[in-house]
Amino acid sequence: MSEDLELHAVVHLVRPLRLRARGLAELREGVAAASPTSLFHHAVQYQLRAPTDDELPPDDFSAWAHGVLQDREAAERLSFAIQSAPRGSEPLRGALLRTLAGLHERPGRAAPEGGEFVFLAVDSVAVSTGVRARDPAGLMEGLARAAPSVWFYHLIERPWFDEADPEVTGWLRARGEDALAGWLAHAAASGRPIGVIRRQLLERWRRRRLGVRVAEAARRPEGERAAAAHDAVAGLVRRLRRPEERS
Amino acid sequence: MSTTTGLPGGAPREARSTSLIEGYRAIVGDGPIQVLEALGRRLHGHRVVMVNSTATGGGVAEILHRMVGLLNELGVPTTWEVMPGDAAFHAITKTLHNTLHGAPGTLTEQDAEHYHEVTQRAARTLALDGDLVFIHDPQPAALVMHRRQPGQRWLWRCHIDLSHARPEAWEFLAPIVERYDAAIFSHVAFVPSLGLPAFLAPPSIDPLSDKNRELERDEEESLLAPLGLPTRRPWVTQVSRFDRLKDPVGVIDAFRLVRAREPAQLVLAGGSADDDPEGAEVLAEARARAAGLEDVSILELAPDAHRTINALQRHSTVVVQKSLREGFALTVAEALWKRRAVVASAVGGIPLQVLHERTGLLVRSVEGCAYQVTRLLRSPELRRRLGAQGREHVRRNFLHPREARDYLAVFALLLELHGGGGARAAG
Repeated sequence: MSEDLELHAVVHLVRPLRLRARGLAELREGVAAASPTSLFHHAVQYQLRAPTDDELPPDDFSAWAHGVLQDREAAERLSFAIQSAPRGSEPLRGALLRTLAGLHERPGRAAPEGGEFVFLAVDSVAVSTGVRARDPAGLMEGLARAAPSVWFYHLIERPWFDEADPEVTGWLRARGEDALAGWLAHAAASGRPIGVIRRQLLERWRRRRLGVRVAEAARRPEGERAAAAHDAVAGLVRRLRRPEERS
Repeated sequence: MSTTTGLPGGAPREARSTSLIEGYRAIVGDGPIQVLEALGRRLHGHRVVMVNSTATGGGVAEILHRMVGLLNELGVPTTWEVMPGDAAFHAITKTLHNTLHGAPGTLTEQDAEHYHEVTQRAARTLALDGDLVFIHDPQPAALVMHRRQPGQRWLWRCHIDLSHARPEAWEFLAPIVERYDAAIFSHVAFVPSLGLPAFLAPPSIDPLSDKNRELERDEEESLLAPLGLPTRRPWVTQVSRFDRLKDPVGVIDAFRLVRAREPAQLVLAGGSADDDPEGAEVLAEARARAAGLEDVSILELAPDAHRTINALQRHSTVVVQKSLREGFALTVAEALWKRRAVVASAVGGIPLQVLHERTGLLVRSVEGCAYQVTRLLRSPELRRRLGAQGREHVRRNFLHPREARDYLAVFALLLELHGGGGARAAG
């Protein structure tokens, strides 16, 4: 209970492998032989390439099938397989192999020279940001200022390699934040872009803190209480209005 | 040769009033800088020595000029050594450079002997006592054979395109490179078969340098006025060393096709690096090809004409990079950073920067170059769209903080692989 949570950023160093594919059959062979860090690079790490966008960029396999092979069906089925596969290299490999087995090689759909799919792998270098959270409020404060790679490392990368929920969710549960931990565990596994998870988590935390602040304000002098109540009502109005604005 | 700034004696120094880190933070945001600072803390106490073959001219010297300062600011003591060499050595390494790019040429046994003799002499004089020795390109590569100390890590950085290397050129270099702990290449297509870890890290430009910083209109005009270039026609510009692989003659041929359809002024601006003996010859070839063409201007710039290059690029309507082979072509990133519309050959690392129809236009021929330049001259909206997207692409991927991050991460990985700090390699 007493241990702090240290926030880490991560840098991915990319290395080429000897595996290459010119068509879907060779892609299947490559997926079967690729290292876990290669599958991670092509089907997970791509999420960090446009971390602030609301929409995920395409993963490498479907981008290649779409852009080079011009095989739209293969691209969409690979995309779906990647986004719906459970965490971990073997579940992902299995999903990709099943998808590729169901796709027939179209005649003339081989990559031209120079357009081969080159399997790459990554070495992840995790470094401490120097931020250590002692409690949930400290964690949220640290995350609010953290680089996208910090979010990616704690919510996506480590859980993917560990095939488990993020360590941070266990840490939150141990501090009584079950609802927040449950929401975060679901969000991290959902395939939502990091930028979206970041926005939604910090918004949830702000809203949750509002109630705490009101309770604390009840013990304060009248003037301070009035200001806190005003903030709370204003926030409530904003939340109530939001569905109307969307409709 | 090293100084307290870490820069070699011949390297130019630009005046700077604020820290590099804060300057970069204002451009790339806090997140990437936090990661850099974390890596700097991780490597605290480890000394790095950078080595290349020229202090001025060419993209590598430009990168090192700033990278050395940045790494020092991050708390990683870094010095820069320049490999000395005579004219014969530079001629040999130029042949090696060209043949590694796939151009014709032969290295004789005497050439190989002289290359190793010069390297051996240099190895006795250079201060290569860092924990990490980071060698750039083939010229100083063989230092690893003569000066490696126990406990040191040696890293080779290849800035050139080896995808079309002549087999005999690579056979000469490969046994040298195999002595390193790891190598870094700019593009996946450049990586040869090697028995050591090979990482990918494209090079980058410095948004704070005289060559890339914002210029006031008055400053831009005062820099361009002495050049006496016509200003009534839109400029189509290629900024590059006068080197056959940059194809200045091909640019002139493409421009001949353009000028028949749209009025424009071609500006070919370049200098030569200290280690490039062919520059004068190629400049003469370009002048001969442009003889009699009033709308072609050929400028021979001093190696330190960074602000002039900045002004030329900013004033250009279209920037061309019609290289036949490229390592990376930093001039493309420079032009994109300035929101210029770029037409460039689909060679080497250029397609990493120019995403066709998104951040610029890729071409594969003289005719293609003429077609796309004409198209851009006619469409301000296309120029604006490509320019805006190009700048953002460079901001995310091709500025110095990203390259420094990659280097520091490789250092951390190498040091840990050999029993150093605590970097974690996932999987």
